[in-house]
Amino acid sequence: MPTNQQASKRAVMESTTSMFQRATEKASTDSEELNPALVAAASAAASTLPNPHQAESELLRQLRKRKAMSDAQKKANAESLGVIIADMKVGKRAGRQSSSPAGQILFDDDGRGFTADKGITAELASVHRRCDPLNPLTLSTNQMPLSGFEEMIQWTKEDKLWAYPINNEAGLEEEASVPFHEHIFLEKHLEEGFPDKGPVRHFMELVVGGLSRNPYLSVQHKKEHIAWFREYFHQKEDVLKEADNFLN
Amino acid sequence: MAAPYTHVGHSVQRNGRFLLRHLQAHRTFGWTSAVRQQAAEPKKEQEIIIPKKKTWSKVAVLEALASTVNRDPTAYPYQFQDDPYLSPRNNMEFKLFSLSQESGRAAAKYFVNNHPKFFTKDFAEPHIPCLMPETVTLCLEEVSEEALKERIQLRKVTAAVDMFDQLQQTGTAVSMKTIHNLLDLICLYCDKEPFPEEEPQTEETVSGQEQKRRTGQVHRASNYLKLTWKENNNAERIFNTLPERDTRCYSALIRGMVKHGAHAKAFSLYTDLLNNRMTADVHIFNALILAAPDVREVHMEKWDLITELLKQMNEQKIRPNLQTFNNVLKALRRSGLYVRTQAVQVLNEMKAVGIAPSLASYEHILAMFYKPGSSAQNNTVMLQEVISELQGTSFTCRDPHDSMFFLTAMRICFDYKDLELGYRVHSLLEVGENWRLLGDNYHQGIYYGRFFHLLCTMEHLEEVLKWYRLLVPSRYYLNHQSLRTLLQALDTESRLDLLPTIWKDMKTMALDNNSDLLDELLRLMTREEHSAEVQDSFADCVLDINKAFDSKPNLEWSTSGLTDATTLLLRASRTQKAWEMLQLFKSKNRVPCEVLLNSFLTACHAEANKQRAVELVQLSAAFYLPSTARLAQRVQAEFDLTEEQRDLLSELGTSGEPETDVRESSPL
Repeated sequence: MPTNQQASKRAVMESTTSMFQRATEKASTDSEELNPALVAAASAAASTLPNPHQAESELLRQLRKRKAMSDAQKKANAESLGVIIADMKVGKRAGRQSSSPAGQILFDDDGRGFTADKGITAELASVHRRCDPLNPLTLSTNQMPLSGFEEMIQWTKEDKLWAYPINNEAGLEEEASVPFHEHIFLEKHLEEGFPDKGPVRHFMELVVGGLSRNPYLSVQHKKEHIAWFREYFHQKEDVLKEADNFLN
Repeated sequence: MAAPYTHVGHSVQRNGRFLLRHLQAHRTFGWTSAVRQQAAEPKKEQEIIIPKKKTWSKVAVLEALASTVNRDPTAYPYQFQDDPYLSPRNNMEFKLFSLSQESGRAAAKYFVNNHPKFFTKDFAEPHIPCLMPETVTLCLEEVSEEALKERIQLRKVTAAVDMFDQLQQTGTAVSMKTIHNLLDLICLYCDKEPFPEEEPQTEETVSGQEQKRRTGQVHRASNYLKLTWKENNNAERIFNTLPERDTRCYSALIRGMVKHGAHAKAFSLYTDLLNNRMTADVHIFNALILAAPDVREVHMEKWDLITELLKQMNEQKIRPNLQTFNNVLKALRRSGLYVRTQAVQVLNEMKAVGIAPSLASYEHILAMFYKPGSSAQNNTVMLQEVISELQGTSFTCRDPHDSMFFLTAMRICFDYKDLELGYRVHSLLEVGENWRLLGDNYHQGIYYGRFFHLLCTMEHLEEVLKWYRLLVPSRYYLNHQSLRTLLQALDTESRLDLLPTIWKDMKTMALDNNSDLLDELLRLMTREEHSAEVQDSFADCVLDINKAFDSKPNLEWSTSGLTDATTLLLRASRTQKAWEMLQLFKSKNRVPCEVLLNSFLTACHAEANKQRAVELVQLSAAFYLPSTARLAQRVQAEFDLTEEQRDLLSELGTSGEPETDVRESSPL
């Protein structure tokens, strides 16, 4: 038995290494670089299942999704406009189409954006800002900024600009109320629904380790990730049991 | 012995303390009073409570920075500080450029809203909602109240009415709030679409729209004027089908009727409301007061109606607001002379109720008492009182009509030629952000035009020039009328040497396209003889003007203009150029006068240019001028001519002579 297990383990290891190679190739061809250790672990966990490829791809997809989310937030500042535009499909006739006189661009004769609607609207909504071009009080006064500072004041009031002095955590108020240990110490979520030992546990610990180092996801997101894995492994529980690798 | 001394000692002790105390109290040594002052100040400082923490608004830093930046009279408005080619130099360009900026923004907004699939990635942290695509198309198609709310939100009038009808047919109950909103929507837009959507265009309609767009503004304005309240339109129909109608429904309908011209109907609906024993609200009364002058013919009856409405308002215990009083004043404006005395009473009422009069209220009153063209008032005392009352106050716009206040005030100052008051009005405008109450560029132009006219007619030239440099072109673009006034001012003070600088500004502001104006300019330059440098600068000006005439095809030289131009060139001793100018007479079919030719001859004599003199006589002969003979004589007399020249001249002298002339020119 032990030799069997050892043999199978060795087989697992060998297959793991071969899968590791395949996985890295696959990962590189997929143009998304996941952490090889994580990939290896995923492969190892998947190898216990009858359909290793599918399982592995599912696991990898989940990991990739999480990575994409963090990446998107990481790249938020670094991404240049050129890259964004390169991704968009530019239709050559789009501009021409809009300049046809079919009334698609409204030339505003009074230069104020929208026509003056006095009366009822003014009394219904007393929003007194530049954002509201239909307010007659805004329309009858001159709202043009006198200098760059006044323009920035208007943008700040419209929430387009950070408020000076800049608070790094503006907009992250709800995140500020979440204590840091809920982000880091995620092992407690592994206590139920997951086996205590084995490749699944090992994999999950790596997942939890990765999540704890991820600053871009909220606690809710992280819990959802773990819940997904819990659900997944629960579904495949009978398959794991069959393969005798499901250790309680 | 000791006793009296002890007594003295006691008294000294007692009094000494007293004395010392007094001495301390009444010491007038400089430094001690300073010490006392210093002793007092820390006490004052200790009374200042320094807060532990101060929260500033989001824009406090930016506002502090903005307060360090004043208006620069040499710079263009901020929205144009980008490309020097795209800086507006006159009113037309200003309008064009600002409209194109707005249409650019509208185009961008159009793209973002109509192609949201290109704008899905949200990079901003924190999220910026106003840069995200808005839904402009309807998503909900099923018959439900949610769909109705959506249509109301997107202001699609016909779609909302259809949805409501469908809901009625299916028997679904619609909440009162939604019904209120629906009625408000229909009444506001008078049952028409506010933003007509694009439809698939055929060729004819496309060209038709192009036609319309070219003729532009006038059509747009008249489109909106044509919005009249139709009989039994959707609003009324829906209103009549409602099982229970509350004040809000009546309010929507009455206000819509007044806005779109159905005044009598509004009043009948109001009596309906009273018959149903409901109370109106302040908006209904505001609308009815506004409509009162239209439903009565005689002035006194109008006032009676208004007072009646106000009494009913009081009975129904509805508090008036600013709009109520402003509407009363607006109605009074159209009501004739003797009800104007009531206007001042209205102001008192406002103060009694505790509502501060806004600029619009003052504007109505001033317009009532200072009707343009009439001389009802002899002086500007009333305006002076108003300005004294408002001095130094910083205003916000509380009524859309506020922007007319400064225009009316400046008109009154101009009509009564009161410069002092004009300065006071302008200083009120300069307080804080009051300048924003002037409104858009058009109204600003009117205000500054009147102010500038007032200055030109009443003020010394140095002051005028100082204001000129301050206002033009950063806040005001000159037009033909104001330029003429400026030239008159220069003329009055005989500072015609400044004309070349004015000419330069004229070129920048594209005011050099009016031949009358150019003739005026030339006439002023020619009026007197000036010093050599000034004449020189005038001559440069003339050459410039010549270029302007050449480049603009619709400008035509006039005789006086050409004469003046040539004279100026002669005075600056630019005879060659003057000669060329003289040739222009022929090409433009204008006839030079004798004075000009004589002065030209004098100039030729100064230069001892015989050939030119002869050519001059030939030119005169070509025009068949009667003065040819006299010119010929002069040339012969003054110049030292060759034989053939003499022959030529004698020939010209005789041929140029009219037959009725008795005088004979004998050949030499």
